Amino acid sequence: MQKRQVCIDAGSEYCPCYLAETNNCIICSQLQGKEFCDCNWSGVCVYHELLMNSSKIRQQRDYYNSTIENITRIGKDCYLLRLKVTKTLARQLKEPGSYVFLRDEKLPQYFDVPMSIMHSDVVNSKITVAFKVIGAKTNSLIKCDESLLVKGPYWNGIYGLRKLKSVKEKKCMVIARGISQAPALLAIEKLVKNKNKVILILDKGSIGEPFISDFIKEMNIDIYEEDLMTDKGKALISYVLLSEDIALVYSAGSDLVHMKIIKILEELQLDPYLAVTNNNEICCGEGICGACIIRLKNGTKAKACKTQIDSRKIIERRVIFD
Amino acid sequence: MTKVIIVGGGWSGCSAAITAEKAGAKVTLIERTDMLIGLGNVGGIMRNNGRYTAAEENICLGANELFEITDKVARHKNVDFPGHKHAYLYDVTKVEPLVGKILKDKGINIMLTSRANDIIMEGRKIKGIVLADGNVVEGDVFIETTGSTGPMGNCTRYGNGCAMCILRCPSFGPRISISMRAGVEDILGQRGDGSYGAFSGSCELSKDSLSEEIKEKLNKKGVVILPVPQEDINLEKLDMKVCQQYSLKEFSENIVLLDTGHIKLMTPFYPLEKLRKIKGLERARYEDPYSGGKGNSIRYLSIAPRNNALKVNGVDNLLCAGEKSGLFVGHTEAMSTGSLAGHNSVRLSSGMPLLELPRNTVIGDIIAHANEEIKNKEGLKKRYTFAGSIFFDRMKEMGAYSIDNDEIKRKIQRLNLLNIYNERLV
Repeated sequence: MQKRQVCIDAGSEYCPCYLAETNNCIICSQLQGKEFCDCNWSGVCVYHELLMNSSKIRQQRDYYNSTIENITRIGKDCYLLRLKVTKTLARQLKEPGSYVFLRDEKLPQYFDVPMSIMHSDVVNSKITVAFKVIGAKTNSLIKCDESLLVKGPYWNGIYGLRKLKSVKEKKCMVIARGISQAPALLAIEKLVKNKNKVILILDKGSIGEPFISDFIKEMNIDIYEEDLMTDKGKALISYVLLSEDIALVYSAGSDLVHMKIIKILEELQLDPYLAVTNNNEICCGEGICGACIIRLKNGTKAKACKTQIDSRKIIERRVIFD
Repeated sequence: MTKVIIVGGGWSGCSAAITAEKAGAKVTLIERTDMLIGLGNVGGIMRNNGRYTAAEENICLGANELFEITDKVARHKNVDFPGHKHAYLYDVTKVEPLVGKILKDKGINIMLTSRANDIIMEGRKIKGIVLADGNVVEGDVFIETTGSTGPMGNCTRYGNGCAMCILRCPSFGPRISISMRAGVEDILGQRGDGSYGAFSGSCELSKDSLSEEIKEKLNKKGVVILPVPQEDINLEKLDMKVCQQYSLKEFSENIVLLDTGHIKLMTPFYPLEKLRKIKGLERARYEDPYSGGKGNSIRYLSIAPRNNALKVNGVDNLLCAGEKSGLFVGHTEAMSTGSLAGHNSVRLSSGMPLLELPRNTVIGDIIAHANEEIKNKEGLKKRYTFAGSIFFDRMKEMGAYSIDNDEIKRKIQRLNLLNIYNERLV
């Protein structure tokens, strides 16, 4: 029996992809080498799409050469980077969970570093990302001053996207810590657009700066600033959960932050929808390289770069092992 | 109160819902599209040949409601066409709302546009059905009437691609095999050449697209037969068909049209260009499948192994009916198996022995016969229907074919089964 998984790219302009061609499709049983349909329907028949395209995959994502508009230091080893991109790419990166790969064009492909989109300015075709220098790939980015290679769009930066995108006219709690403030912004925009009341709990974390402040000050949302790793932070989250009828919690932070939130929810016996940032190490974004494969408790393997997985299952597993 | 969950709202699912309710269950019917009776929305042929006997047996057993509807809205009664006698052609545009009403009046919880996507198991028992929206429907006994047609990938692999039929998988999502999700492997029907599945056997044309002369004749008589131009006769196509009762030479050399509200064209598909060469069909267009010029749905790819009481082998609380329960063709066959499965669902939950219809009823015989035949390779290439082909021959040989209502009633009475489906068991 096939384990049911959801591919973020199913039905997009990039589906069918190389996984379909190599009988490794995430959702289609026929394209996993089985003889009959048993898919986790996502609105399209990937097998039909492939055959109707003369058994060829769709054109995959391209690299774009993008001009660096500006790069600003926002804290210790942390930077805000604004890039000029095509109008289409800016539009494609407007949804929560969007990410791209960035690289110095002089460096080989294995310097590709995945980066969550913080903001996408569709009118002026500009995207903004925030990053912290932690290793070879991010270190190479700050050395670029004119242009960068951008590959995208990718969308699986958040688990629990279906609920995050569909919740309407409810109360939602967004928890953002450190550098993960960046992937919180697109989600907040979406939640506000869907007429939800957003309560944001902001933790500067190791960055030391609430760097999304400028972007959210015009929005009609409630903001609390607190260190989430303290008892006070825990008390604040519990207080909000108990005093407000929260329909969805979105946790943007490390897996430890996610785990903390899940524990609080369990203690309070609350069960709102849960969305969390995808913190897996992603290398190719196409489900090919295998770097992001995770093993869940039930023995299933999932490619984190493309697969939507239940937030609770993934976090429970990762935190135990990390 | 026993909670019976039926997955699939086609003819067999609706029949099961009624008999399960009558036997005392609280019934939920899950259907992925926005209409009940599934392929019944484009079918319409009742009571032809041995189906007459089966219809009357069902009525005597107590499964009368749906036959009353199809009889009531029959556009034509006692129509003969090649190889077939005394057919009733119900109006496909009138039946579905009437079925919906009768189910609602019985207090059956109908969940439309709710697609079963997975199951939750507990040992050898199904605990609940997981819907596509993540909600879970729990129950005591489950009846799988998901059919065996499609979805898109199967129609692509074993047919000519999605032809946009009434099942509308692209819009509502695919059926799933509940039994397979429960770990029981599906049995697959084959064509004459051994390949899997078979094409649905007929298409429907829009009545208004036919010539006035043909329309008038159809309205009056119910059937029109037009010769196929010599160069377009294709006998090979007969092999592809599901409906072996219509796999006759006459159906290759002629276009057989039946009036069911739409106009039934008794061939799996027919290129529009060729169809329009025939006098009176110059403006013809398809109603179902929309791409009937190219292909049709693929069926028989998902049959559950079961016993003659329709309980699925290997799962403690799952029954099946309709095409899911064998290589059956037709509404009457779906209603016959559906009604039995519905009745047996209450027996199963309360630990009573399950009802097996005796083999001297045509319903009991087709259920048992199809189950024997499915075990051998040649049997997988056959279809079982009261309306023709091998099973109708068998009925005639055994003297089981009858259009004498009193005789049929006497037999059911003699077997002590009269109105058994009307008995409340719990």
